[in-house]
Amino acid sequence: MEMLIFAVAAIVALASAVMVIAVKNPVGGVLFLIMSIAAQTVLYIMLSGIFVAAFMILVYAGAIMVLFLFVIMMLNLRHADLGPDSLRRVKPLAWVFGSVLLAELVWVSMAASMPASGIDETFGSVPAVSRLLYGKFVYPFELTSVLLLAAIIGAVVMARKGS
Amino acid sequence: MVNLTPLLPELFLFCWALVVLASDLFSKRRSASLPGYLSLAGLVITGFLLIPAHDAYLWGGMFVSDPFAVFFKIIFLGAAFMAIGSSFGLAGRMTHHRGEYFTLILFSTVGMMFLASAKELITLYVGLELTTIPLYVLAAYTKSSRASTEAGLKYMIIGAVSSAVLLYGLSIIYGLTGTTFLQQITINLSIYWLSYGELGPAFSIALMAILAGLAFKLALVPFHMWAPDVYEGSPTPVTAFLSVGSKAAGLAAIVRIFVGAFIAFATPVMAPRDWGSTLAVLAAITMIVGNIVAIRQTNIKRMLAYSSIAQAGYIMVGVVAASNLGVSAISFYVFSYMFANMGAFAIVAIIAERTGSEQIADLAGFSKSSPVLAGLMAIFILSLAGIPPLAGFLAKYYVFAAAVQAGYTWLVVLALLTSVIAYYYYANVIRMMYLSADPNPHHIVPSFPAGLVLALAGIGVILFGLMPEPILKLAIAAASSFVF
Repeated sequence: MEMLIFAVAAIVALASAVMVIAVKNPVGGVLFLIMSIAAQTVLYIMLSGIFVAAFMILVYAGAIMVLFLFVIMMLNLRHADLGPDSLRRVKPLAWVFGSVLLAELVWVSMAASMPASGIDETFGSVPAVSRLLYGKFVYPFELTSVLLLAAIIGAVVMARKGS
Repeated sequence: MVNLTPLLPELFLFCWALVVLASDLFSKRRSASLPGYLSLAGLVITGFLLIPAHDAYLWGGMFVSDPFAVFFKIIFLGAAFMAIGSSFGLAGRMTHHRGEYFTLILFSTVGMMFLASAKELITLYVGLELTTIPLYVLAAYTKSSRASTEAGLKYMIIGAVSSAVLLYGLSIIYGLTGTTFLQQITINLSIYWLSYGELGPAFSIALMAILAGLAFKLALVPFHMWAPDVYEGSPTPVTAFLSVGSKAAGLAAIVRIFVGAFIAFATPVMAPRDWGSTLAVLAAITMIVGNIVAIRQTNIKRMLAYSSIAQAGYIMVGVVAASNLGVSAISFYVFSYMFANMGAFAIVAIIAERTGSEQIADLAGFSKSSPVLAGLMAIFILSLAGIPPLAGFLAKYYVFAAAVQAGYTWLVVLALLTSVIAYYYYANVIRMMYLSADPNPHHIVPSFPAGLVLALAGIGVILFGLMPEPILKLAIAAASSFVF
C-alpha cells in the first residue's frame, strides 16, 4: 500500500516537474509547479516529516506560488513577447550533461554502501522541529531574521521607482 | 545562559547598519556624507572590537572565534571600508536610497563575518546567503543603467543556482553523517571509513556538489561565466567589493569545509573520493583561462574581472596544498590582494566618475595629467602582477612554496607560466598611462574619502611588501586554527 502511494506521488512529482520546464505557457508552468509541490508533500508525510509537509502546502504551494501566479497573470505575457528561444544552441549540451548527472545519481543511489544515519520516530514532528529550532539551532534561526531584514531592505530598494 | 561577548563585533556592526539606515532620514537632501562617514566609523569601531577577540566556541561550534576567523574578518572590514570610501561619488549622485546603499554593504559584511566564524553547515549557509543577497541588490543599484540591472539579475540567478547545488551537496553530507557540525562530520566519516573501508559514491558526489557550488561564488573556471558581465555592469565600488569581499568569504567557506572537515580527503591517494586533484584541475584551468582572456579586454573593469578570476586560481593553488603553510599563504595572499584590487578599482571609479570612460585606451597620457593617481595605479597593478618588492610578490611566493612543498610542482610551473602571461595585460595598462604620447585632458583630484582609500591601499601594498612580518605572524596563527 505504501509502495503504491509512494509510486504515484513520486511519478506525479517528477512528471509535473518536467512539465514545468516543458510547457510554453508560463501560467501552465506555475500550475504544474504547484502540482509537483503537492505531490512532494505526500512524500514528506510518508516520511513522517509533518512539519515540512505542512510548510510545503502553506508556504510554497499556498503563499509563494499563488504570488507567482498573480505576477505572471498581471504581466500577461503572450507568446510573441517571449521572443525566439535563446537557449536553442545550448539545449543539446544540456541534454548530454543532464543525462550524465542523472546516470551518476542513479548509480550513486544504487551503490550506496555507506548506511544513512539512523533517526528516531519523532524526527520531523512539530514538537521535535520546534525544540531544535528554538533550542540547539537558535543561533542560525536568529541569524535568519537578519537575513530577512536585509532581503526586505533590498526588495524595497528594488521595488521603488527612480535611480 | 550563553556568554555573548565574543559576538560583540558582529552585533555591533549589525546595529550600526540600522543606525546608518536611519541616519539618511536626518541628513540633508543632497549630501551623501553623513551615512557614508557613519559607515566608515562603524567599520573602524568594529575593527577595534575585534582586537580583544579571545578564542571562543559557542553553541557547539556554530560561532567560533579562532585566529582564522579574526584574520578574515579584518579582511572583510578592510574591503568594506575601502568600498564605502570609494562610493561617495556614486552615492552623491543618487536621488533615492542613499542610506540603504551603505546599509546593504554593512549587512553583507556582517554576513561574511558570521560565515567566517561558522563551523556548522546551517550557520555557514545562512552566513553565505546574508553575504550575497545584499550584493544582488547592490549590483543592480544603478537602476537607470541597463547593464547594472542585467548584472543584478544575472548575479541573482547564478547565485540561486549555485546555492542550490551547494545545498544539495551539504544535504547529502548530512544524510551520510547525521550531523551538521563540521567536527562531528569528520569524526563520523572516519568511523565509517574504519568500519567499512569505503564511503561509497554518494560521498564523492557530495564533495563535488559542494565544490561546484562554492566555485560559482569564487568564479573559478568553468563556473565563471557570470563574473565578467556582473563585474562590468555593477557600479564600480560594488564591483570592487564583489571581487574582494565576496571572494574572500567564499574562500573562507571552502577552507572551513574542505581543509577544516575533509582534510583527510585532500591527497590524491584517496582517489576517487579526494577533492585535492579536482581542485588542482580547477585552479589550473582558472589560471589559464582567466589570464589568456584578460589579454583581449579593452574595458578596464572587464580586464580586472578576468584578472580577479585568475587571482582566485592562484589562491586555489594554496588551498590545494592543504597544509599549514598553504592556509597561512592564502591568508596572506587575500590580505595583500585586498589592498591592490580595492585600490585599482577605486582609481577606476574615480576616473570613470570624471571622464565617463572605462576603456584602457582612454588612460593614455594619464601620468602627465594626474601623476600621483597614475603612480598609485601602477603600484596596484604591479602588486597584482606580483612584482617585488610589493606585497603581491610575497603572497605569490608563499602560495607557490606551499604548493611545491605539498608536491604540486606541475601546478606551480603552470602558475608561473600564466603569471608571465599576466604581465602582458598588466603592463599594457602601465604602458598606456606612461608611454603614450597623447595628452590626457583630465586633471583628476580625488575626493577626501577616495583619497583616504587610495592612501590606505598604497601604504598596505608597499608596507606589507617590505615588512610582512606582523601580517605573516597573524596568517600563521590563522593556519593554526586547523588540524593537519
